[in-house]
Amino acid sequence: MKKTPCLAALLIVLFFPRFSSAQEKFIDVRQNMADNLTGVKTEVKAGDWTAARASFDKAKTIWAQDVKPLITEGVKTDTQFQEYFNRIGEVEANMDAVAAGLDAQKADDIEAKVNAAIWGISHHPRGFDVPKPRYTAWDWVFGLGIGIGFCLFATWFGLYLRRSYYGRYPKARFVKK
Amino acid sequence: MYSNLIITVIYLALMFGAGIFFSRNIKNTADYFLAGRSAPWFWIMGAVWATNIGFLHGYLAHGGAAYEWGLIQSNFEWFQGPFGYILTGIFFIAFYWRAGIYTVPQFLERRYGSGIRVVYSIAWIIIFLVTIAAELYLGGMFLKNILHIPFWPTVFVLTGVVGTYMLLGGLGAAIMMEFVQFVIMMLGTMPLLFILLKMVGGFKGITNVLINQWGVSPQYFTVLPDIHHPYGPGPWIILGQCLVVTIGWCAGHQSMVQRNLGARSLYDSKLGYVVASIPKTLGAFLYIVPMIAAPIVFSRLGIFVEKSDAAYGKLIINLLPAGMLGLFIAGLLSAGLSSIGSVLNSASTMLVKDLYERFLVKGKSDHHYFIAGRIATFGVIIASLLLVPVVLKVYLIMWLEQTLLAMVLGPFMAVLVLAIFWKRANTPGSFAGFLMGGIFAILLQQVFHVNIFFQISWWSFVVTLALTVVISLLTDPPKKEKVEGITWDSNFEAMVGEVIEDRALASAVRVTEIRQRTIKVPPWYLNLKYWATAILLVQIGLLLFFG
Repeated sequence: MKKTPCLAALLIVLFFPRFSSAQEKFIDVRQNMADNLTGVKTEVKAGDWTAARASFDKAKTIWAQDVKPLITEGVKTDTQFQEYFNRIGEVEANMDAVAAGLDAQKADDIEAKVNAAIWGISHHPRGFDVPKPRYTAWDWVFGLGIGIGFCLFATWFGLYLRRSYYGRYPKARFVKK
Repeated sequence: MYSNLIITVIYLALMFGAGIFFSRNIKNTADYFLAGRSAPWFWIMGAVWATNIGFLHGYLAHGGAAYEWGLIQSNFEWFQGPFGYILTGIFFIAFYWRAGIYTVPQFLERRYGSGIRVVYSIAWIIIFLVTIAAELYLGGMFLKNILHIPFWPTVFVLTGVVGTYMLLGGLGAAIMMEFVQFVIMMLGTMPLLFILLKMVGGFKGITNVLINQWGVSPQYFTVLPDIHHPYGPGPWIILGQCLVVTIGWCAGHQSMVQRNLGARSLYDSKLGYVVASIPKTLGAFLYIVPMIAAPIVFSRLGIFVEKSDAAYGKLIINLLPAGMLGLFIAGLLSAGLSSIGSVLNSASTMLVKDLYERFLVKGKSDHHYFIAGRIATFGVIIASLLLVPVVLKVYLIMWLEQTLLAMVLGPFMAVLVLAIFWKRANTPGSFAGFLMGGIFAILLQQVFHVNIFFQISWWSFVVTLALTVVISLLTDPPKKEKVEGITWDSNFEAMVGEVIEDRALASAVRVTEIRQRTIKVPPWYLNLKYWATAILLVQIGLLLFFG
């Protein structure tokens, strides 16, 4: 009988994750697209243009049917999609360039364009867009106030601790034995 | 792929076996929760660092935040971390030892009463649940990417392994395994830095590409950015993080403190904490600096990154050769498992010691609470698994965890500082101050949309401090037994005595006469002051170079 609640809890947990699968979809479809694009690179290197074309078509289908709709719909409700929305044009331009490279069977340009397309559907650091440092007079006052204040406080507090400690327990005089 | 999988499976099996092996030594709650108070300083050092560094604080989420916001993330390693470690090690930890406690909430109860103990315990248990969920999510995502196995089964396997060795072995198993994991982590993850720097042409190559070619903000490369930075304004890092959260985290995080309470002496505990700041500093080179170079590598090689928290895993999968990757996976699993294990142990300790034993079922046998500890561990595992889908939604896990910490640690630091330095601080003052400070922090984030956790922690600290002082002055002073022995101006003779009893130093001490007392003085290479000074000088150097 004691095992029943534990078993029930485990069953609930085992079935609970199914509700979260939608969260992973945007990750999975982009990963799938990136895998196919990586396949294009590998197959081009091996000289298998037919397989490369097939991989590219798969990637393009995933882009058109899954990734792009998720981005255009997602951006309406969630700001996390904004960066991908801003790069739709860039991704499509790179995909077109890959298609042109495959048509012309020019291996030189394809890898760079595939990499750019994958980078386009990847997450880019937000820190890249932080404005350059700017310091107003108030910033200097505030920053220096905190810095100098911190040093003064640390010195005063350190001295207080030292004085109060050695006030109660006289400083050790070491005697060599 | 199979070689990596085999190494990973062997490693997990060894962890599993270790739990069963160490469980033979567990006889009572002191063994289970405090490892029988037997750990030497170097075990404490390894365990503290391994507890601190995991999937969340460290490689995956911390590295992910570094990918997202740049070198600012290293202020946790080069600035705040060691500051908090040293201050806690040489100062706060002694008060916990003197109070003879198992948990931080016990200390708060001893000084202020049971109300604050309950509130603080519940707040931390919530943080621990989120922390474990985040660690499981990050670990599952990492293994899914690296070994191409589905996410949820991976999470369950991780949970099973860590749950088993914690359920059976308690803190003793955790500390010993964490020391082993500390070594594996250091050796296993260091090569990535050199491989990356060689690829991108060193630090100069990174800045050249990102700033000159891509036009990335120079603030991506600074430890203390300007005050307008959306993630971590420099002055607020000093106020909110360095002065409040970091010290509060080192002195108030049950997992960190619990490792120190498991030491064989106070001196071992102090030294272990202080010296742990060395690997903490090195940590930035393991998971912060590589992530600054990561965007260049991803764009050049066409590596897909779904979100920042996945960036570190993607980097190693694509850069490390098969054999080294296996070692790396073991290192990273070490980090994750040790952190999950330690938090799991701490959550169950708080559930049993601070809530169950104290308020729900009093006066039962030691064996009863020992069994309750194991049941609590199981309950925490289940609750954490239920939280994983919630964590999935967050854009940056580091932000979520730090915001939660800021809401608790701001008020905690205020009541802790007053507990030690102001005898007049009393029960009503601290309880109302702590509660209102926490509510104020939640309002700041939820109502006023302050998303910079450094600001939340600072203002909640200030509000708690002010309220505690005012209400304490308006009400009766605390009774003598509440303050005796655990405030700064208490009798410290017993603490000197701890050094005398220090078995860790027994073979390398010189007996010295200090007036009427005789104490054993540690040799220079184990002297806390020298270590602390050297570490702080290194921090200042790093700040001047990168600040």
